[in-house]
Amino acid sequence: MASRGSDDPWDRLRELPLGQKVEITDERGVRWSGTVIPPHELSGDRILTLKLSSGYNVGVRVGPATTYRLHEGAPPRAPARSSPSPSDRRAAGGVELLTTGGTIASRVDYETGGVRPVGDEAEILAFYPELAHAGSVRITPVLDRLSENLTPADWSRLAEKVVEAFGRGATGVVIAHGTDTLGFTAAGLSFLLADLPGPVVLVGAQRSPDRPSSDGPSNLRAAVEVARDRRLGEVVVVMHAGLSDDRFAIHRGTWVRKMHSSRRDAFRSRNGPPLGTFDGRSVELGPSVRPPAAGPARVEGPLDPSAGLLWSYPGLSAERAATFVDGLRGVVLAGTGLGHVAHDHLGWIRSATDRGVVVAMTTQCLEGTVDPYVYATGRELLRSGVTFLDDLLPETAYAKLLWALGRGRDPAEVRTLLLRDRAGEFRRRRGLEDPP
Amino acid sequence: MKVGLEVHQQLATAKLFCRCPSELTDRTDASFVRSLRPAGGEERTVDAAATFQASRGLAYRYESGPSNCLVESDEEPPRPINDEALDVALTVALLLRARPVDEIQVMRKIVVDGSNTTGFQRTALVAVDGVLEVGGRRHEVLSVCLEEDAARRVGGGEPEVAYRLDRLGIPLVEVATGPTIASGAEAREVAQEIGALLRATRRVRRGIGTVREDLNVSADGGHRVEIKGVQELRKIGEYVDREEARQRLLLEIRGELERRGARAEPEAVEVAGELADAGDGPIASALRHGGTVLALRLPGFAGLLGPRPGTDERFGRELAEQARAAGLGGIVHSDELPAYGLTDEHVRRLRARLGSADADAFVLVADRSPDRARRAFAHVAARAAHARVGVPGETRDPLPDGRSRYSRPLPGRDRMYPETDVPPVPVTAARLARLEQALPERPGATLARLEREHRLAAELARQIVYGGEVDRFEELTARGHAGPLVARLLIQELPAVAVPAGAPAFDPPLATLDRLLAAVGSGAIAKEGLAPVLAALARGAPEVDAAIRDAGLGARPPRSWRRSWSASSAGSSRSCAPAGRRRSRR
Repeated sequence: MASRGSDDPWDRLRELPLGQKVEITDERGVRWSGTVIPPHELSGDRILTLKLSSGYNVGVRVGPATTYRLHEGAPPRAPARSSPSPSDRRAAGGVELLTTGGTIASRVDYETGGVRPVGDEAEILAFYPELAHAGSVRITPVLDRLSENLTPADWSRLAEKVVEAFGRGATGVVIAHGTDTLGFTAAGLSFLLADLPGPVVLVGAQRSPDRPSSDGPSNLRAAVEVARDRRLGEVVVVMHAGLSDDRFAIHRGTWVRKMHSSRRDAFRSRNGPPLGTFDGRSVELGPSVRPPAAGPARVEGPLDPSAGLLWSYPGLSAERAATFVDGLRGVVLAGTGLGHVAHDHLGWIRSATDRGVVVAMTTQCLEGTVDPYVYATGRELLRSGVTFLDDLLPETAYAKLLWALGRGRDPAEVRTLLLRDRAGEFRRRRGLEDPP
Repeated sequence: MKVGLEVHQQLATAKLFCRCPSELTDRTDASFVRSLRPAGGEERTVDAAATFQASRGLAYRYESGPSNCLVESDEEPPRPINDEALDVALTVALLLRARPVDEIQVMRKIVVDGSNTTGFQRTALVAVDGVLEVGGRRHEVLSVCLEEDAARRVGGGEPEVAYRLDRLGIPLVEVATGPTIASGAEAREVAQEIGALLRATRRVRRGIGTVREDLNVSADGGHRVEIKGVQELRKIGEYVDREEARQRLLLEIRGELERRGARAEPEAVEVAGELADAGDGPIASALRHGGTVLALRLPGFAGLLGPRPGTDERFGRELAEQARAAGLGGIVHSDELPAYGLTDEHVRRLRARLGSADADAFVLVADRSPDRARRAFAHVAARAAHARVGVPGETRDPLPDGRSRYSRPLPGRDRMYPETDVPPVPVTAARLARLEQALPERPGATLARLEREHRLAAELARQIVYGGEVDRFEELTARGHAGPLVARLLIQELPAVAVPAGAPAFDPPLATLDRLLAAVGSGAIAKEGLAPVLAALARGAPEVDAAIRDAGLGARPPRSWRRSWSASSAGSSRSCAPAGRRRSRR
């Protein structure tokens, strides 16, 4: 036992190391005995957060008259880490797991109270011990960032890692990824990768793995099973098909979009059904699956990041749109309805296409196709040099534009690449079933 | 003996972390299936109770309905804590003279029995250090917590358990006392006092299942055992006393084992060969389905597993409960043989195989799944080994007959970690001052006031306050009815109305009670007429006048209604009107 408060006890208490045991008598005379733990990010001023012996955390206000006693011999607790050795999962011919961070590889951070990505293989295995038993799964950490922080340059890096994995003899690759921009990355990889000898499966989690109800373990297991399937040679996303933990949808990387901020089944294929499903036992695939190529897998890049994605809305001025496009080599418009923007935008669009800027049109409806022939606006946009991208999602069109700009030598070739099917991204036919 | 209580009371506000109504319903709009697995807390250690549940590998089916949104399905983050519910919890804290914390932090308490879709219960410590005086004794109140109620189990077993989500998220105020209670009777009184105090806020839900008690019982020399989820207040004393008796037996057995120098042998012996010709029973059934029989040797345990003088608790039951918790039907032990299709000859063979003498006992664990049998054996063997230590700390489920049954190990503190999705809430001086100003009357004061204002006998006033009838009593007396008459109706007549077994308690609307009392006031019926008229209402009489006629106290009922009444009363097994009266009506 040591020390009493000096002038302001807060000066001393705020500096206490985590794990320090302390007894505090607050200004009302209530005594609190507990262990110092990090405050919540939104904790108030002069609040010391204690874990009581009951396990509850409470915030204790430290006033000038607060007194305290420190208990000695209380070494701060280091988090215990136990993990199987990684070396025995390195056999070739299995599935390789690339990790990028995101909820599927995140845990509650008791430093900040938020959720943070885990970096190393040992931490991944601590959360998913079943991976060690799932046969040959090699784990390669690539990034450790939440997906809102990823850029198209990261897509290119991931594409290289996928090619390396297949080069090492992997028969399928799983990429654990944050869900926020998982759809973008899936589209980007779909365009970047060529001659895939097996599936590339992106997977995420809507609930972090430190929760007993996390969808991470079941999604990851489904992803590994799909990655083992020898009938599949394309980039797909595997996530919950509904709210249950026993059915998973297999989405084509260019058709999929995160359609809900929090549900487990947030990922939906647009304009029709997904490629297939996994029910916990077997993988069912529909007719439009792209079979594996002979290989070897290649990256056909680069991506040119000088493009943008602009959502049209009532009140968007032509000047603001022109400013946005200034300095870009291409822009995808998420137009209204069949692919429209306000009439007064035709001016900047015409001058942009005249300068060689590629202007592509998609629909912000997300379901259905654009069509320039139905209304006068569409016809004028077409005459102004706008490229209409049928039923591509705006995000998919954006990823494709980065790729086409990187590959095409002039605007005409970029437009040709945009309109040519590359990864099965155009549905061409849309059935009568209700949107999922 | 030391006893502590935790009283959980549902609040009549919206849910704690969403805006759904706190109402139970039978309607199901959607259902889904989940699995849960243990996850580490801050120290990434996995709690024993959590591991135990997860090791059973169950799937959970959840039914969602009109009292649910995405939050209860764990499909959307929780909203900030419901301010109104927090006000009620703080009010309870102030009534208990407890000290609210400066900043409330919501915690996740790991519970992986499937009753929470998240795998944890959200709970927050609101106040500490309260006091409660009951019958002249002071009891310490350790804590007042605000937490979310769990989902309702509505069916299933292995491999799938079904829960309805309507109850999940209903705010619960939890009041926990220190271990200052010394008897079952006192535990009941303390629970009553806390119940009355909670109801004084007038923001609590009423009815079966809206209050649940956890009883922490430790006999002298025993260990804390938690009997969880007692719903019937009047049975609290019985649960406490029977738990004390159970712990005493375990301590007595420990003493006897020490004297005998007896100790369980932990290795399983496969004895299917000795029992291949067993007659009909659990052993034969397991073997017929390709299962196995494992024997646990208990040298020196003979006579300790079955009935013992002076108690109807049995040690064999403890072992059977472990087997049941692991998914088996039970066990067979040597104190009860020959039985279950096993003859003296089987016992002789088993003793020869196990090298067991007459002073030794053995236990058979049989199941059609050898894996499950081995898992269960491990639990049974561990429990038998603990007999030398004494009373194991554990959580037990209350049974309708006043006994309890093992459910799982006692949870440790590892199962709590911060709910980072919910911001902490400062408890401001202004908020406390506002609540202090509007503080409701304490039960003791209400009692004195009812006696004074309505000239009620002390016992009657007590029953109104502690029976949860203050609201109705005050509403009915405010309508001009005499206090003693209202009290008689609420305390004596209404609870005495018989209903068919399994039917909900007879609970007529306030307007009906009002008319009934008016009938007494106007002289249409005498006070003694309340019982037969209530009985007629319980049988389905549509309103008070008809019930009066039916009870033979007025004109005959109209023909059409008499027919429907006769039909319904004929089907009722426990009709409540005296037979003589029924005959006289016809």
